[in-house]
Amino acid sequence: MIWLTWRQFRTQAWVVLAALAALTLYLVILGLSIRHSYNTGVVGCQATDSCSNATYQFTRHYNTQVSLVGLLLILTPALIGAFWGAPLITRELETGTYRLVWNQSMTRTRWLSVKLAVTVLATLAVTGVLSLLLTWAASPYDRLRGQRFATADFDSRNLVPLGYAVFAFLLGTAIGLLIRRTLPAMALTLAVFALAQIVIPATIRPHLMAPVEQTVSFTAETMSQSSHFGISAGGHDNHPPAASSPLSLGGYTIPGAWMLTSESPLLKADGQPATVGLTENCRNGSPAQTAACLATQKLRFTVSYQPSSRYWPFQWIETSAYLVLAALLAGFCFWRLPRIG
Amino acid sequence: MTPVLETEGLGKRYGRQQALTNCTLNIPAGRIVGLVGPNGAGKSTLLGLACGLITPTSGSIKVLDARPGACAAQLAKVGFVAQDTPVYAGLSVADHLRLGAKLNPRWDQQLAQGRIRQLGLDPTQKAGRLSGGQRAQLALTLAAAKGSELLLLDEPVASLDPLARRAFLQSLMEFVAELEVSVVLSSHLLADLERVCDYLIVLASGRVQLADEVDDLLATHYRLTVGRGELESLPTGIDVVTAEHSARQSTAVVRATGPIPSSIAGADQLDLEDLVLAYMTRAANDAAGNTVPAGSLAVHP
Repeated sequence: MIWLTWRQFRTQAWVVLAALAALTLYLVILGLSIRHSYNTGVVGCQATDSCSNATYQFTRHYNTQVSLVGLLLILTPALIGAFWGAPLITRELETGTYRLVWNQSMTRTRWLSVKLAVTVLATLAVTGVLSLLLTWAASPYDRLRGQRFATADFDSRNLVPLGYAVFAFLLGTAIGLLIRRTLPAMALTLAVFALAQIVIPATIRPHLMAPVEQTVSFTAETMSQSSHFGISAGGHDNHPPAASSPLSLGGYTIPGAWMLTSESPLLKADGQPATVGLTENCRNGSPAQTAACLATQKLRFTVSYQPSSRYWPFQWIETSAYLVLAALLAGFCFWRLPRIG
Repeated sequence: MTPVLETEGLGKRYGRQQALTNCTLNIPAGRIVGLVGPNGAGKSTLLGLACGLITPTSGSIKVLDARPGACAAQLAKVGFVAQDTPVYAGLSVADHLRLGAKLNPRWDQQLAQGRIRQLGLDPTQKAGRLSGGQRAQLALTLAAAKGSELLLLDEPVASLDPLARRAFLQSLMEFVAELEVSVVLSSHLLADLERVCDYLIVLASGRVQLADEVDDLLATHYRLTVGRGELESLPTGIDVVTAEHSARQSTAVVRATGPIPSSIAGADQLDLEDLVLAYMTRAANDAAGNTVPAGSLAVHP
């Protein structure tokens, strides 16, 4: 049965292998090039003032390439689900060959288990190689950007692509077994998987572990870690904000952490919202002076985030969760297949 | 000796459509069974149930004393050639033999290769490029070399031209004699099966109309031509299958458990074709509430 599975899978396998070889070559070259630029451009800068410029040039230069390969890694599981998963059973049903193969001296359950095992191994190999190579190639770039939790980065590095791919493959198989027609099954697999990839990072992933709530006092330093300082309501270009409009701080980042709060209201020492009126005395001068002036007001704000140390727990939790879902889908297939007909 | 196929009140329903109803059969081993009936009579359903591809919705079925498709050992005992003889279009003839060898512990590689050579098939040819007749032969080879005790063939000759039809049945007969297997083969044309089968099942409207040894059927059925009204007064043991009436006479096909009494003058032997037609006519009349004239049945080509 392993022979038959391989024989039916062979042509596709060669195509995929060729593509994989080309990508491997590309990623090795990219990785070496990234390391070279990093060592010559960024490492040497650390003593000088030009560091932020060098970092900017470096990330900008590799941004497109790294993002495109990352996108490919996010697409790979979807393609595996649609092209390996969905037709796995439907193709036999549509061509009628199930009536040939299910009457050899072997139960359908055994037929399915070999098919699933071989294809899952191929899935793991393809996704594993791609993920490993991209994670390696992009690691200096990723370290410099410090945004490992960004959806596109998290989804395309380390372990999670393996979980996605196995899940997508079994999703395709199960959907194929349910609706029994290849094209609709492929389309539905893509749709369901895309939906999961959009919904889960936005709604479930932030809560995989209880976020850390931290109250930060407003200082010149916190100001430099924030992208903007603003008034959350009431301000227009022509109508200056009222003195009672509340103040807020946006884009405060902790290095490597996943910030779940994008904008936090500024509070005074007594817990009352800080308002525009407070800043009256600090208006004049450079931004740094304004910040220093405001810092004397003992303002504070609260952010909620997932610390950088949770990156690997998150990778493990999400990978395991997808593998458990995949196992449930496989269970469904094993339950359903003998009941066809 | 255990029967090859034993069913009791077997039924299969697809949604609202009852494909097979209350089918009770007991087919002894060593027969070549012809399964005849019009299209949609339930032949494929019955064969699908027998090989385990289809699960029954009512009643029970045993093939070689076990539930069809229950385990690998049971699957090994039953060879099946499905309608339209599906093969893997992308695999070569030799690949198909390898498939058979890999998936069947009792595979007879010599038989398979011998047949392929005898048929003049090119082992390197893709199965998708074979003609209908060659494909049917390849599918039959796979089933034959599997080493099974019972072969089920669903309309194996339906897509073949008359020459290929004859060649197919000829080669079937050859290895059936050689391997001593039981065979059930279906067709909507009795003419295809008449020469090869020694047991006959007539299926119509999802019900078994007739199931018996061909010799017994021929020995117990007669066409009677009697005066109008005399059919009502036939002695016990003679049952009317179908009857046609003209102004003066009645012509009937009857089944008699004993010899026809000499008092009935016009009793002729029936050939198998007329006999099957009589049962199909009766089934069609029953299904249509006696409104369909017998001549409208398209049972013959």
